[in-house]
Amino acid sequence: MSSMPCIVAVDGGAYFHRATLADARFAPYFDDVMYAPELAAKLDWMEADCLFVTSRQDPALMQAVRQPIADFLAAGKTVVAMGESQAETWLPGVAWHTSEVNFWWWLTPGADSGLRVGTSEHDLFKHLTLADTTWHQHGYLDAPPGATSLVNRAAGGSILYEDRATTPGRIVATTLDPCYHHGSNFMPATTRFLTGFLPWLRGSLANKD
Amino acid sequence: MKAILYVRPLGHEPASFLDRPYAQGIVQQRVYDLPGLDLTRYGAILVSAHTDQRAFAACSKQITAFLDAGGLLVFNGHIAYPFLPELALFVPVPGFSLNLLQIRRTAEHPVFDGVDPHDLTFRRGVAGFYGRGHNPLPQGALVLHRLSGNDAPLDWVWQRPAGGTVFMHGGNNLWMYADDPSSAARIAPQLMAWVTAQVEPHAEKEPA
Repeated sequence: MSSMPCIVAVDGGAYFHRATLADARFAPYFDDVMYAPELAAKLDWMEADCLFVTSRQDPALMQAVRQPIADFLAAGKTVVAMGESQAETWLPGVAWHTSEVNFWWWLTPGADSGLRVGTSEHDLFKHLTLADTTWHQHGYLDAPPGATSLVNRAAGGSILYEDRATTPGRIVATTLDPCYHHGSNFMPATTRFLTGFLPWLRGSLANKD
Repeated sequence: MKAILYVRPLGHEPASFLDRPYAQGIVQQRVYDLPGLDLTRYGAILVSAHTDQRAFAACSKQITAFLDAGGLLVFNGHIAYPFLPELALFVPVPGFSLNLLQIRRTAEHPVFDGVDPHDLTFRRGVAGFYGRGHNPLPQGALVLHRLSGNDAPLDWVWQRPAGGTVFMHGGNNLWMYADDPSSAARIAPQLMAWVTAQVEPHAEKEPA
């Protein structure tokens, strides 16, 4: 591994995974790509600094590496879990609540998305805005004790948090599924989210102790 | 009658149409379990847009044997890993504007009988759900719907010269409209009726 922080992305083999991971705007942030069915057999990814789990992975494949992921976090490393992969079944501390998906809230003029900035001074918001995290919601998370919620629901719960408390490593968990929608050529906010999130992620890895 | 196979995709949201009476008898298998299966046992295979296409394309030989035996493949999604030599990567329309995303019917087909193309262009007034590009056509395919952008052939049906049929929808799942309050809700039951007619050996086959 080079001295630069290394990000390994998980590819679930769906068209939207390929479209996101191969996108020339984002590919430079992924030093390597691991195919999800091979994660358990090829543990090279544990050498990386960050495992970036793109949206909508088959939960069974992630459950198969539950212990290696725990070991990876115990070594002080970072796991990013984008939405819709049942992270509560393979990532420590994640508590997920299903809510009715509000696909259509934005069709009502003046409607409130129901999202609020959780920690405005967080570095992530130097790279993106609340609007870039705003599309429909599939559910919400409980931010674990000691974690920093970055985007909250007005009705309670978090949809994006950073957790350095549950393990010696860092977990960034969200209910948002930008890789799916960006990779489907749909919803420009999801493209803006990734455009801001990935540089933040890279920078946050470089700045760690 | 040979069975109809639904390839279970990524994720955990079961497709609601599978609970409907018209979907009774569909067999489900994970895409990761296909390598151990003799696909020629099935009369039709339904593939969701959310399928691990790397795993599906790795079964190219079995898929070819299935089609050689006269099988019907219904494929949804953007081709990212071509599983037959005649298929090629998805081509998106260049942008999001409404003048690119209007659906036009170019041939009648039982699956779309009574479905107003307007209900495909717009879902709750929003354009783009049905398709935003196309999977390139094999030679001889019949185009059913085109997008206004680049006249992109979004839906097509291909009688494969070596055997079998591919029914292609280059967008999200055809059955996702099953609960819509529009004529698009007709697609899922009509798709299943057409698929069943194709795999029923004694039935009068509909022209594709």
